[in-house]
Amino acid sequence: MKKFVSLLLVMLLVLTMAACQPASKDTTQGNETTTPTKGATDENKGGNEQKTGLPVLSPDNPVTISVWTTTNSSAPADDNKLTKLLKERLGVTINYEIIPTDNADQKIGVLLAGGEYADLMGTTDLNIRLITGGALIPLDDYLTEDKANLLFEHVRPYWNRLATDAGDGEKHIYVLPNYNRFYGEIVGGTHYGASGFWIQKHVLEDAGYPNVDNMTLERYFELIENYARKYPTIDGMPTIGFEILCAPGREWVLTNPPQYIAGHPNNGGVIVDENNVASIFADKDIAKRYYKYLNQMNAKGLVDKESFTQTNDQYLSKLATGRVLGMYDQRWAFGQAYDALVAEGKYERTWVSTMPVYEGCTPYYADREVMNINQGYGISVSCKNPDVVVSFLNTMMSEEWQKIFNWGIEGEDYLVDENGRYYRTPEMREQQKDLVWRSKNRLEALYDNMPKYQGTYSDGNADGPGNQPEEFFESLSDYDKNFLTSYGKKTWRDFLNQPPDNPVYYPCWNIHLPDGSEAQMASQQLTDISIQYLPKIIMADPSEFENLWAQYVNEIKKVNIKAYEDAINAGIQERIMNWGGGR
Amino acid sequence: MTTQPLAQPKKKKTVWHTIAAQKELIIMSVPLLLYKILFSYVPVVGWTMAFQNYKPAVRSFWKQEWVGFDNFVKLFVGLNGERFLRDLRNTLGQSFLTIVLGYIGSISLALLLNEVKNIKFKKVVQNITYMPHFLSWVIVAGLVSTMLAIPTSGGIINDVLIRLGLIKEPIMFLSEPKYFWWIVACSNLWKEMGWNTIIYLAAMTAIDPTLYEAAVIDGANRYQKMWHITLPGIKSTIVVLLIMNVGHILEAGFEIQYFLGNGLVVEMAEIIDIFVLRYGIQMGNYSLATAAGIFKTVVSIILISMANFIAGRLGEEKLV
Repeated sequence: MKKFVSLLLVMLLVLTMAACQPASKDTTQGNETTTPTKGATDENKGGNEQKTGLPVLSPDNPVTISVWTTTNSSAPADDNKLTKLLKERLGVTINYEIIPTDNADQKIGVLLAGGEYADLMGTTDLNIRLITGGALIPLDDYLTEDKANLLFEHVRPYWNRLATDAGDGEKHIYVLPNYNRFYGEIVGGTHYGASGFWIQKHVLEDAGYPNVDNMTLERYFELIENYARKYPTIDGMPTIGFEILCAPGREWVLTNPPQYIAGHPNNGGVIVDENNVASIFADKDIAKRYYKYLNQMNAKGLVDKESFTQTNDQYLSKLATGRVLGMYDQRWAFGQAYDALVAEGKYERTWVSTMPVYEGCTPYYADREVMNINQGYGISVSCKNPDVVVSFLNTMMSEEWQKIFNWGIEGEDYLVDENGRYYRTPEMREQQKDLVWRSKNRLEALYDNMPKYQGTYSDGNADGPGNQPEEFFESLSDYDKNFLTSYGKKTWRDFLNQPPDNPVYYPCWNIHLPDGSEAQMASQQLTDISIQYLPKIIMADPSEFENLWAQYVNEIKKVNIKAYEDAINAGIQERIMNWGGGR
Repeated sequence: MTTQPLAQPKKKKTVWHTIAAQKELIIMSVPLLLYKILFSYVPVVGWTMAFQNYKPAVRSFWKQEWVGFDNFVKLFVGLNGERFLRDLRNTLGQSFLTIVLGYIGSISLALLLNEVKNIKFKKVVQNITYMPHFLSWVIVAGLVSTMLAIPTSGGIINDVLIRLGLIKEPIMFLSEPKYFWWIVACSNLWKEMGWNTIIYLAAMTAIDPTLYEAAVIDGANRYQKMWHITLPGIKSTIVVLLIMNVGHILEAGFEIQYFLGNGLVVEMAEIIDIFVLRYGIQMGNYSLATAAGIFKTVVSIILISMANFIAGRLGEEKLV
């Protein structure tokens, strides 16, 4: 009750304060900064010129920008090199508030109730609650040729797709997409950041590099089982065959796999048929088969007993011990654990993706990269000086700064050869693997939600070292080089299917369900039933499986599934009608 | 009867006299009163949210949509209703168990400490037992989850049980719903037992020593003295604390259920506060959260008045 009362009080205070605030938001600082200062204009010598419609950032006019961002990256060290650079060149100081992705939903709920925000809100909020809750300002006025020209170029071709209705019936752009807006030639394809049934490289090595194409669940678990029998402990700790996670915000690790195994791409909780009609699969046969199989594997002792009681942090630290042989997950979500193993030089304990499917199904794990919608930075209504913040983002979008974020500082973090190609020396590559070094020399937490220049720069170099083909191969450890050669593959991506063109509406997981709607309630109830029953179903004695499954299906029947499916289908139709077209 | 007309004006006078005489006290209590009004009564205005379809984007109070008792209906009907009532049961159950264990634990510890004649030893025990009170629940939850894990993850309890030969396979304490209430109650006991003894020990010092002397002359032994003198001596303290605790019975904590709860045990673990967080605040359904909060307050007020009334009937101290 106390918490609740204080929440109400906070709201009340905020309401009164909002009422008392003067209408004008122009502060003196904002007016000062509109005068362009020389020196600063010289800074923007990247591939693109910055236009004059916005205040120019300069060290003579220091500004502080507060950033609230949901990211898996950790905060930069106090003596970070790029933090200093931002201060020296632009006079910008950043104050971070970093929210782990699994806490984002609750944080947003509390923030909205309070109504006070940081200047820049880095969001991965799928329910667009920051937008409908009135936390962000529309950016349309800034996104023009003569104001934030680089940001305008970033969103211009996709305007209709990005414009969102905050509830007032008008569509505006509130959030600048953070990933998969491509420029120039799309290079790379070396990395794979998405879904798969990951398997430890040493398991494959030990089995003599068996063919991993045409993978099935049976073969996947057979490999794991054989290895676990042979090596009951790894580094003195018991080997864990298969790891599952269903911590808050990451329930999809438990609920998403059946659609992949049945040969569908990631549409979240639904499968979409050839007539573009979506329906849930949680209670269907494809799901039953998968969970029944997990139940049997659990009976063999291959599933970690602590799977369902652990938090995301506990899961990641368990993965980082190198004793987990396999798990379903998306690469970006366990990146910290992967990096930790690389930093320790335990390359053989990292994982490679496989794509088990039911017989007769074609794997569709990898999709064409889709531009993230409503994920990235938006500017909050609490921001006193949106001009400055837009100017900051626009400056960051220049090729010069994009290179700094991705490649680093020329001469320190990368070199340029006689053909203008960027490369790194072995020492430079080695230091990039050190997590402490990275916290001192890179700004991953800030950059994660930043609009990015993906593809190739105007000088032909790839957006980052990982996508520069020659650099990618050179940066691999000997173990990984040998591993790839043994498989006759060149990149990690080669382990995945060749993605066909995405359907227009794809992906359904980012179709927004309005707050307080029946559909949203149904979706939440469906998730809750899954996290309550599926763990039980998997951990149960195989003889109880059928009984528990029947209970589970019965519970799902009580949910208003129709409301949920209708909302998703409406979203699909709306996208088919309106997507396409820019400005 | 004849004195009454005379007494009337005199009585009036005394009220003003009292006020004048105590004006310093009254002035001193004004800030406290304002504090109470500001932080306990003014926020009640926010209860109106429960009758609206509250949207934070609409900053003006008057533009919100009024929906009557819709949110209360949503709270008690259908799947949500099942969940809410289940959570209500969990809240009451966990709270009840926590209070009972807490009382037995801290009163017995206080009785035992009271009998310790070696002052140094007594102080050491007291210090050790009340230290956990100062730990944050986040840390306690972390400790508990590690203690209860399987041995390879540092689960010392399973380790000890296996080594003693009491069990063969480690018990998955955190994935069995039936253990959850006990885990909450025992964690509370561990954390708060020492702290709660302080008030009982203070009450015990107020017991007249001559009673003990008389009991010794009558031939009472130590246990009889504890039972017939010490316990009755702190009875009123126990009752007052009990009434206060009944008022808080719907607050079974929040952190420990939040950190230790998971899908496997949710049916026994989820309490009202977590329901409010997940279905209210996390989903932007502030009105539903408010409705649940109002319900909680109303039940608390009813419970505390009942406890107060019963205590009065039993001839004990009442709070009000």
